Amino acid sequence: MADTSFPGPLAGAAHAAPARTAVLNRFRLGNLLFLNLTRAAAVLVLVLLGGVMVALIEGAAPALREFGFGFVTSQSWNPVTEKFGALAPIYGTIVTSLIAMLIAVPVGLGIAIFLTELCPMPLRRPIGIAIELLAGIPSIIYGIWGLFVFAPFLQTTVQPFLISLFGPIPLLNAVFAGPPYGIGMLTAGLILAIMVLPFITSIARDVFSTVPPVLKEAAYGIGCTRWEVVKNVVLPFTRVGVIGGVMLGLGRALGETMAVTFVIGNAHKISASILAPGTTISATIANEFTEAVGDIYTSSLIALGLLLFVITFIVLAIARYMLLRLEMKGGK
Amino acid sequence: MNMTVAQSAAVSSARPMQPAGAQREMPNAQETAHEKISVRNLRFYYGDTLALKGISLPLYERKVTAFIGPSGCGKSTLLRILNRMYDLYPGQRADGEVLLDGENILSPKQDKNLLRSRVGMVFQKPTPFPMTIYDNIAFGVRLYEKLSKAEMDERVESSLRRAALWNEVKDKLGASGQSLSGGQQQRLCIARTVAIKPEVILLDEPCSALDPISTAKIEELIDELKAEYTIAIVTHNMQQAARCSEYTAFMYLGELVEFDETSRIFTTPSDQRTQDYITGRFG
Repeated sequence: MADTSFPGPLAGAAHAAPARTAVLNRFRLGNLLFLNLTRAAAVLVLVLLGGVMVALIEGAAPALREFGFGFVTSQSWNPVTEKFGALAPIYGTIVTSLIAMLIAVPVGLGIAIFLTELCPMPLRRPIGIAIELLAGIPSIIYGIWGLFVFAPFLQTTVQPFLISLFGPIPLLNAVFAGPPYGIGMLTAGLILAIMVLPFITSIARDVFSTVPPVLKEAAYGIGCTRWEVVKNVVLPFTRVGVIGGVMLGLGRALGETMAVTFVIGNAHKISASILAPGTTISATIANEFTEAVGDIYTSSLIALGLLLFVITFIVLAIARYMLLRLEMKGGK
Repeated sequence: MNMTVAQSAAVSSARPMQPAGAQREMPNAQETAHEKISVRNLRFYYGDTLALKGISLPLYERKVTAFIGPSGCGKSTLLRILNRMYDLYPGQRADGEVLLDGENILSPKQDKNLLRSRVGMVFQKPTPFPMTIYDNIAFGVRLYEKLSKAEMDERVESSLRRAALWNEVKDKLGASGQSLSGGQQQRLCIARTVAIKPEVILLDEPCSALDPISTAKIEELIDELKAEYTIAIVTHNMQQAARCSEYTAFMYLGELVEFDETSRIFTTPSDQRTQDYITGRFG
């Protein structure tokens, strides 16, 4: 800064006016270029979004015309008779994502709270880096690990235990019913939980560290315990960011394809039991695109994609609505 | 309040601020007042840096003690030891003794939550919690007491009244504490501190972020609060120290240079450095 301004007055004094005008023109041009470049980048997003939307709707149109609203309420998926309904993949997508969030949100927030509030300094970096590395593992690796290591482990130990534990309890025994296949919706949900964990953790950790220390001190200062500070000060202060992180994780869980395809079993049926095989929207598309013969079959798969788009959109809308409600309640 | 240095010197032996009914004071206050907190040979370390070099002083019950001195002299550090706020940060430690009613609060056995409920603190910047005005007050109370709705309403109102904030917020108790102005927020923080009925209140430059009117209100408040509480205030404002306090400690470079009755510090200090500081020759 200082050394560039130093020759300024000297150089400017000699031939002030023309030199300045040239510089100012250059500035103006630069500004204009900068404005338009950034604006183009922003517009590009809208164009892409619109293009994808149009392509999906166009591709899905034959199937939607053929089956109408029944496409989302029917669970039959029969390539032979060319009768397609999306209920099973929708159900599978929502159930696996729900399982994933049920596990990943508390664990992820727990890790983030530990890292920002409780963890001894020397441990913070190693744990933080480990979490970020977890995010860097390609999903295909989660897939093969899930299929060859995790699913057999669940099949021999966890699932029999769950079945015997919840067997005598009404309602819950339906949720944990059936033979332990190893693969299935629970397994997919668990893999998804591991995959979204780093997203939730690192976002939560970042927003937790934005809480002003003096605010925390004030809460400690009236005699709060660590838990009370976290519950009453840190979380309310950061709720917007935390919900954002959770939604990002949920978005990932809804759309994740590879790892889920490996371990979910790819069965087009709806079972009350989360131990049973199922399918998700993205797994169905990935599995069946190559063998889709006939316009209706292909179009039905594209319609599935459109549905995923819509579901993700609804989730985001709900998140926005929740944030709005929270803000009105907090009066912030 | 609003006494000049000279006035406060003139009335120092009489001390008219004490309300009637509170125990009558002897003219020689120093000998009769109870030592609420006794700091004895206190050293404090930030990592390897020695920030307080053996401080000893008393805080008398129901008196205001002001801490003055240039930035970095250890005033705020001392305050943060009195409720062990430094414990939140690794690498900070204190040795020596700080006795609160005769018990050493630096001992590892001291329950920090209990201590902080007995020794409340108000910070330089207002720190309303991210919740409603009502809850800002009720939150701290709920930690220690189970009150019915009516009792809690009563407590919230009385705390806000004590902090001279009630009339300004009584119609919007459900609004966020962060929606108030800076001066109101600071009074909310004082109300919050008072609500949990501490014995000692620590004020760390409570007025430095406030305009003169808010400052005057808070000074008035301090004057009222000392009828019940032992108060320690860190301030950079010499007039404020002279107006609000009975005792003043002048600190410099981690040492306690002088501790005496405020009237004496501001009229006949015994140390040359004190003299220089209060007359504005350095700091």
